[in-house]
Amino acid sequence: MSRVPGVSGVPALPAVPALEFSGLVKRFGGQTAVDHVDLVVPPGSFFGLVGPNGAGKTTSLSMATGLLRPDAGAVRIFGHDVWADPVAAKELVGVLPDGMALPDRLTGREVLTYLGLLRGMAREVVEQRAAELLAVLELDAAESTAIVDYSTGMRKKITLATALLHGPRLLVLDEPFEAIDPVSAATIRTILQRFVRGGGSVVFSSHVMALVEQLCDHVAVIARGRVEAAGALDDVRGEHPTLDEAFVHIVGARAGGAEGLSWLAS
Amino acid sequence: MVGVLIGMRALILRKNAQGKRIWGTLALLVVVLALAGSTFAAGLAHYAQPGAGADVLATLSFGWLLGWVAGPVMTGDDATLRLDYFKLLPIPPRKLAHAMLGANFANVSLVFSFLAFAGMIAYGARSGAQAALVGVVAVLLNLVLAVVASTVAVGVLGPTISSRRGRDFSSVLVALVITLLSLASAVVPFLARKLTDGSSPVLAGVVRGLPSGWGADAVQSAADGHTATALLPLAGLVALIAALVLVWPPLLARRLTLSGRGSSRRTSRQKAYVAVGARRLLPSTPLGAVIGKELRMYSRSVLRSVQLMIALLVGVLTSVIVALSGSTSGLPFGGLLFTVIAAACFTNLYGDDGSALWLTLTTPHAERADVTGRQWAWFLVAGPPGLLLTVLLTAAGGQNWAWPWALSGEAAVALGGTGLTVLVSVLSMQPLSADGGPTPGRQVKAHLMLVAVPVLCCLPPLALLLPGALTGTTWLEWTAVPVALAWGALLCRLGNRTATRRLTARGPELFALVRRPAS
Repeated sequence: MSRVPGVSGVPALPAVPALEFSGLVKRFGGQTAVDHVDLVVPPGSFFGLVGPNGAGKTTSLSMATGLLRPDAGAVRIFGHDVWADPVAAKELVGVLPDGMALPDRLTGREVLTYLGLLRGMAREVVEQRAAELLAVLELDAAESTAIVDYSTGMRKKITLATALLHGPRLLVLDEPFEAIDPVSAATIRTILQRFVRGGGSVVFSSHVMALVEQLCDHVAVIARGRVEAAGALDDVRGEHPTLDEAFVHIVGARAGGAEGLSWLAS
Repeated sequence: MVGVLIGMRALILRKNAQGKRIWGTLALLVVVLALAGSTFAAGLAHYAQPGAGADVLATLSFGWLLGWVAGPVMTGDDATLRLDYFKLLPIPPRKLAHAMLGANFANVSLVFSFLAFAGMIAYGARSGAQAALVGVVAVLLNLVLAVVASTVAVGVLGPTISSRRGRDFSSVLVALVITLLSLASAVVPFLARKLTDGSSPVLAGVVRGLPSGWGADAVQSAADGHTATALLPLAGLVALIAALVLVWPPLLARRLTLSGRGSSRRTSRQKAYVAVGARRLLPSTPLGAVIGKELRMYSRSVLRSVQLMIALLVGVLTSVIVALSGSTSGLPFGGLLFTVIAAACFTNLYGDDGSALWLTLTTPHAERADVTGRQWAWFLVAGPPGLLLTVLLTAAGGQNWAWPWALSGEAAVALGGTGLTVLVSVLSMQPLSADGGPTPGRQVKAHLMLVAVPVLCCLPPLALLLPGALTGTTWLEWTAVPVALAWGALLCRLGNRTATRRLTARGPELFALVRRPAS
């Protein structure tokens, strides 16, 4: 298992993968959204999942977090099968799904308190962590605002707070940086980097190659429901100067836009 | 451009109608046709008091025009020609305004409204050709007013409706209309009697003084031979229509330049929620957390609080209005009616919360706490007020025979409803529409539950109450109360166990039903 590059002093972790997909399959009607996906996320890694729209990223991550039942295959979080041993798996993971609702008439602090208590945490611990999370994510100014009145970026941040609250060992984040302003994105980036430095593991999906390149030590490229490439960032990038170019090459896509439209701005 | 818009609307309607809701549409057609037919019949009926017919027709016209104005507001916006489609097109607002107004005349509802308003022609024809002719003009003006007022109403209310907070306003409006419709069975006979026996000149003055009554007023004047007086209300209608047509383009321009979320209003509407000490009453456990969250949702979510308001208004007002017209035997059941409606309205708890279910599914061991917490919260919200209403209204009506009936019914529905609300919520999840409003499917379910909940809850106590009442055995009637408590408690427990088991076993499949809004 590879270690986080550039970070020393990370305690030796057991070699059990933080997240492991084996032979994962999901079909919707006649369409195969996820087609025998095998993937290993080493513990302590910052793992980027990239792929074109509709490649199966969200479907894969939903199956990893217990929100979508696979048709075949298994998902394990630190060795615990998400579908056979859900409680143990759910204890270890924090989830940020893309575009899902929250109890939106509650304030940020109320949602965090609700979730902490729902997880059986002590009230004092919940209150102290909620206060810290709200402050770090700069949501404490909106103390008395219900989530229904939050901006998209604020929603993303409060959902991230719900994922962090119970101190998980693995974070599964679906498009955490989408529709987020640069300042908030920098905040989230710093928090995630601290989390990985502290021994945590992060899996996140994204369209933005530059971001993945900057943050991740591991990356997997998913297209048409299959893993086209996976491994350490340098290995996946290969001889291409950027991940962007490697991605286009791996996916076999052809950047369109050159034909037709002769009337446009002529 | 009118032609383009009409073609676009027809295409969207055809696409929407493909393969679904055919029975719902047919049912709606039958209901509207029956309403239009009965309105028309009001023009043919015989009235003992002079002018009473015009009062009745004026009242019915008010109902129809209200439907025209409230209809599009209730459905959230014009579902076919959304104003937002035209925001970016370089069309002058005045041209667009007139085109939209023209397109709105291509509406099949006009046929039904014509039938309904034609009651005025029939009413006038009984007094001669001249009054009938005035009736024809009045009908045409009423139809034009209906289309113009409806178009302008969407323009005025549109921006708030498409904002998240603005829908709250729309929900309140929907609630008021539903309440009025529910009360109609009690109110309409009451009003009809007042109007036909001519005992309330104030009421008659009000219904004829409103623009919806001007047409009927003109017909009555013509029937009485005052042709000149008949022209005045008709001229009033023309003036009103002209005024609405004039204000429509600037209103549309304002609407098109407002942001979709109505941001200028949003800040002033934002409510500040401050942590209250009362939450300390709840235990710091998973169950306490869910109860606290649910109670906050009941008090802050407009969808929820409005449903509670409907239940309260319909429950209390129905029994009180019936009591005012002389029969107090309904009073003891006002509380029961409130609890039944409150139960039926909240049989879609998970569907209404939509994709927020992911929080429960990703939290270990959360299912039982979630189900039980929702049960407690509903019981706290519906049980004590229902019992209080039952006791107060029964005592106020002096209906001592009704005590075992009212108390056992209330106990059975309050406890049984605690089981059934959450059970039905898990068994059938109907997500809200994309704009956060209830879908027809959800409303059908709530209406079915309006019947199913009291039947399921009240059968065992009724099995004792009926023979008790028929044989005059008081003690038998009173045994219905403990039986109702026991049966309700059983339903409560069964609902809890079944719902928890299903949520635990089928969580992801249920989540798939609500992860996206209904289309």
